[in-house]
Amino acid sequence: MTTLPLFRRAFLDTWRSTLGWAAGLAAACFLYLPLYPSLGGSAEMQDMVNALPPEMTKALNYDQIATGPGYAQATLYGLLGFMLMTIASVAWGAAAVGGDEESGQLELTLAHGVTRGQVVLERALALFLRVVLLAALVCALVWLLNGPAQLDIKLDNLLGATVLFAGLALLSGTAALCVGTVTGRRTYGLAAGATVAVLGYVFNAVGRQSKEVEWLLELSPYHWAYGNSPVANGADWAAAAWLWGISAALVAVAAVALERRDVGA
Amino acid sequence: MATAVSARSLTKRFGRREVLHGIDFEVEPGTVFGVIGPNGAGKTTTMRCLLDIIRPSGGEIRVLGIDPRLGGPGLRRRIGYLPGELFLEGRVTGRKLLAHYQAISGPIPPGRIDSLAERLGLDLDRHTRQLSKGNKQKLGLVQAFMHQPELLVLDEPTSGLDPLVQQEFHAMVREAKHRGQTIFLSSHVLSEVQQTADTVAILRDGRIITVESVEGLREGAVRHVRFTTHGIPAPDAVALLSGVPGIGQVEVLEEDGSVTLSATLEGAIQPLVRMLGSLELTDLVLDEPDLEEAVLKMYSGQPEDAR
Repeated sequence: MTTLPLFRRAFLDTWRSTLGWAAGLAAACFLYLPLYPSLGGSAEMQDMVNALPPEMTKALNYDQIATGPGYAQATLYGLLGFMLMTIASVAWGAAAVGGDEESGQLELTLAHGVTRGQVVLERALALFLRVVLLAALVCALVWLLNGPAQLDIKLDNLLGATVLFAGLALLSGTAALCVGTVTGRRTYGLAAGATVAVLGYVFNAVGRQSKEVEWLLELSPYHWAYGNSPVANGADWAAAAWLWGISAALVAVAAVALERRDVGA
Repeated sequence: MATAVSARSLTKRFGRREVLHGIDFEVEPGTVFGVIGPNGAGKTTTMRCLLDIIRPSGGEIRVLGIDPRLGGPGLRRRIGYLPGELFLEGRVTGRKLLAHYQAISGPIPPGRIDSLAERLGLDLDRHTRQLSKGNKQKLGLVQAFMHQPELLVLDEPTSGLDPLVQQEFHAMVREAKHRGQTIFLSSHVLSEVQQTADTVAILRDGRIITVESVEGLREGAVRHVRFTTHGIPAPDAVALLSGVPGIGQVEVLEEDGSVTLSATLEGAIQPLVRMLGSLELTDLVLDEPDLEEAVLKMYSGQPEDAR
């Protein structure tokens, strides 16, 4: 008997995809971070940022790119890295159960000696592990480039930011997994995951504009994670607990939902 | 001895549409039970209920003595299942895919996978998505048979297989039966199940029309008879023939010199043979009973009298 056979298959069979996303994230690190000394830290860049419309600066979190940690926060964790991680996580989440059912393969798996809860949990575990691996890779590369790129990021802040970075991507990914599992449709899962990510980003960008719409920030997972610039200031551990906790709850909902319905009907 | 599979008043509704209207059947252990019916009759739905992939709306099922809703993984390890439409994607070889299914089903005797693959002529080292429909079907069959389960549930098992492989499959079914395994299989045509099945259930529009042994079906089926005789006027020959029980559709094909008649026969052949013995025959053709025709008649809903 193999332990966690479904987890192993979900994890190992997607190694190409995992590797691809890892390469993308590594490229993002190597493209952005070494530019800091000549871009973010320079006086000209600060003048340019000052010349931008303040709304735009706030939306892109560029108000903080004059420091190394702020630069890494805004460009990598807040923008390109966030995007890549979210897309990877949502794609995996939507495919995990909903996609498998839609392609007709879930039926055969369920006809074997497994429970439905086990299918959801093991595949969710594979999603968690892949997201954590990617976040750990980014963390390692940032630490590697910290000296050469003169970023001056503190290790414990970096670790805290990594936990939030992974948690934020997982929230969208598990939303995709949950909706995909409940509906049996990959597309609905993708839509749900994308909605969580995009609304989170938009609510943050808009909420930061003025006092009247500040309440939007409360609804933005992106703001929960990055509101206090964790790379610069350390993690808000309550926010991290919320992100990871809600993700776990979404997986539990998916497991219960699959247990209760017909498959492939 | 307990039945291997039984269903009592099994109903299934999808939303407001009822696809199984209360079906009943029993499958004895160590027998081959074939379900035939046109597409949409409810064969796949019934099978999915046995595997707890979908849940009945009403009625009762027992698989190997256990309610599939409660049997869990332990029960499903004792079953081999081939879905009606087999989707195998992903960049894995057949061998790796089977290793995965092995990990989530019952134990497999060493060498079993290779010997099954060899029998069916399946290359296990090719990626599943490069396989033709027939080869995917073979992979599905290996997957269902490999752990020698007590019960095999096979939905349209021969679809996509060429005739030689179909023969091999029939041999595998017979061997499984001799080993005491129970086989529950479906098809939309009788010819595919009549070679192996002991009992056939005919399903139409979510109802079982009849459950019958293949022998019973054969007896009830219509044969075509044609013969040529001489020394007797056509009207007399027609009268003689029409007097035989079970004869219908008498036609005179030729009546100059010799007389050629054709007719259909339902039921026993002995009375016909006795009547023919009194004639001077120059030619006689008595066809194999046409089971397919009998079944098609049931499909189309014509009343099957005397049943």
